[in-house]
Amino acid sequence: MKPRTRRLLNFWSLFTGPALWWGTVLLVPYLMMLAISFYTRQFPFHVPDFQFGNYVTLIADSQYFTVLLRSLWIALAVSVTTFCLSYPLAYFLAFKVRSNRLRLFLYTAAIVPLWVSYLLRAYTWKTILGSEGILNSFLMWIGIISEPSTIFLYNQGAMVVTMAYIFTPFMVMPIYASLEKIPRSLIEASKDLGAPRFTTFRKITLPLSMPGVLAGFTFTFGLSIGDFISPILVGGPYSNMIANVVATQFGMAMNWPLGSALGVVLLVIVLGIITASDKLERIGRINLG
Amino acid sequence: MKVINIKRAAAALVIGFAASAHAEGELSVLTWEGYTDPSFVEPFTEATGCAVTPTYVGSNDEFPAKLAGGGGVYDLVSPSVDTTTILMKAGLVEEIDVSRIDHWGEIYEQFRNHVGVNYEGGVYGVPFTWGSIPFMYRADRFDEAPDSIASFWEDESLSGAISLWDDKTNIYIVARLLFGTDVNVYDLSDDQLAAVRDKLIALKPHIRKFWSTAGELVNLYANGEVTISNTWGGYQSSLLAEQDIEMVEFIPVEKADGWADAWQIVKGTPNADCAYEWLNYATASGGQCGVVGVTGYSGSNPVVLRECLDEATFEALNQADFKYIDGLVLWEEPARVDAYINTWNAIKAAQ
Repeated sequence: MKPRTRRLLNFWSLFTGPALWWGTVLLVPYLMMLAISFYTRQFPFHVPDFQFGNYVTLIADSQYFTVLLRSLWIALAVSVTTFCLSYPLAYFLAFKVRSNRLRLFLYTAAIVPLWVSYLLRAYTWKTILGSEGILNSFLMWIGIISEPSTIFLYNQGAMVVTMAYIFTPFMVMPIYASLEKIPRSLIEASKDLGAPRFTTFRKITLPLSMPGVLAGFTFTFGLSIGDFISPILVGGPYSNMIANVVATQFGMAMNWPLGSALGVVLLVIVLGIITASDKLERIGRINLG
Repeated sequence: MKVINIKRAAAALVIGFAASAHAEGELSVLTWEGYTDPSFVEPFTEATGCAVTPTYVGSNDEFPAKLAGGGGVYDLVSPSVDTTTILMKAGLVEEIDVSRIDHWGEIYEQFRNHVGVNYEGGVYGVPFTWGSIPFMYRADRFDEAPDSIASFWEDESLSGAISLWDDKTNIYIVARLLFGTDVNVYDLSDDQLAAVRDKLIALKPHIRKFWSTAGELVNLYANGEVTISNTWGGYQSSLLAEQDIEMVEFIPVEKADGWADAWQIVKGTPNADCAYEWLNYATASGGQCGVVGVTGYSGSNPVVLRECLDEATFEALNQADFKYIDGLVLWEEPARVDAYINTWNAIKAAQ
């Protein structure tokens, strides 16, 4: 056997499985979704076609823009909240905890929610935020309020809190990984040269941890913009997200073309965010020289 | 020799698998919880040799979604009569030979003749259960019973304590509120739909939560989140009674919707004989008494229900009162169902 043939054989014996997997469960479905988004709705199903009517509907009927804007806003709120909660935690783990065992324990505790079912975790927040829930009972017990408040549950705030809790591991893990990689010598050098603590953080730690922050933001934003469980469980009358609308189009409406067009729009947004975060990371690299 | 053995084993496996998948007498059923309860399915299996494997749905949406998405694995489905139509029109279900249904003639004629089970001169569904969509409130939170849903907009004390079913059927009762009870709610014009949409959007600030499953509504009441809502007549109120929460169901002056669920045979099923066995059993005393006992809904065959229900229960389920059904506005698929779904989506999307 020629070396070249052998190389090819080796290559394909290793990659045939992944290529098939990637093609059949990722590439083909995306192409199908794209194709169906150009089909024409014809009650009760649809007929193959190539026209932009479904996309025109998405622009012309303001309900889709309203929901899309709401989804973007919620995803941003979740990402920012998660970042504010996760960065200090990751920083504490990477720099302040001296004992390796304690660090491992705290790190595991931070990501252990990942191993519990999403639904179960969302339901937990209902029992915390509800009118007769733990939060209201506590506030009444310490005397801040005299009657149970309904402002904690069944609104966008409840959705942000729930998703921020659920997606925290996706923010903590990349930030922790990037903080841990920062050479301690750089921080010591900064201190030796007389930089105050905050300057060291601003000029050394934060820029060097940006890849982790961007990765965390991308994960959290992408996961929350496509979420459709939290609006159903803890959202209120003003909480419908883009994924809920997609689900309706594939359900009772049986309008696969419109549902697919919505799916394509969502996919483009998420891909746009991934591209943007990739670009941002590159810019960061150049600046650091 | 080893190779042959493996081949044989593989062949045996394939045959065995194929045999079990297509075995005569195994019904795969897409249905609501309670409709294939073991308490009355086990006697059916013993008598006919047809096993029943249910998959449960949470909403009518799932019937067309699952069948259109390649539902070849199901033999029978049981959608409501406003969803049966789309399955007939899409050619997803088979015409039913009613001469093979022994008790067909005993089923309420309002359901037998319903547009949801008749299509192009043929019958495509066998009515099984029915009920109303009344409203209900927590008895301990009201001194005086509201008699019109107009109070939802007007009575400040209800604000934030209202829950509505997350379903396009809300359009119907609001249309009756706006245009009178005689309006054909299944054929509203664009202007009328727009008026209903605006009216319901105006109600959103007063709504605590749209409920989507029976259990969710029960929890909303049990946790003190809401005090008034629409409901699947008789079902959630009895679940709440088990938790010692007293509910009062009422039919407002705008009248109530009526629903009925019907069994349909999925097109191309290899288990047609077992499917007919089930349709027969479901409309005879075994299935009717079984499902009424488990769910608390009313049954489609009042004749056989006389055999198992005492007079008081029979009355309570409105099985004796043929006029009761006529007082309800029975669900149908709207003439322009896309416009209705779009209206409901617009209401839910509105900021």
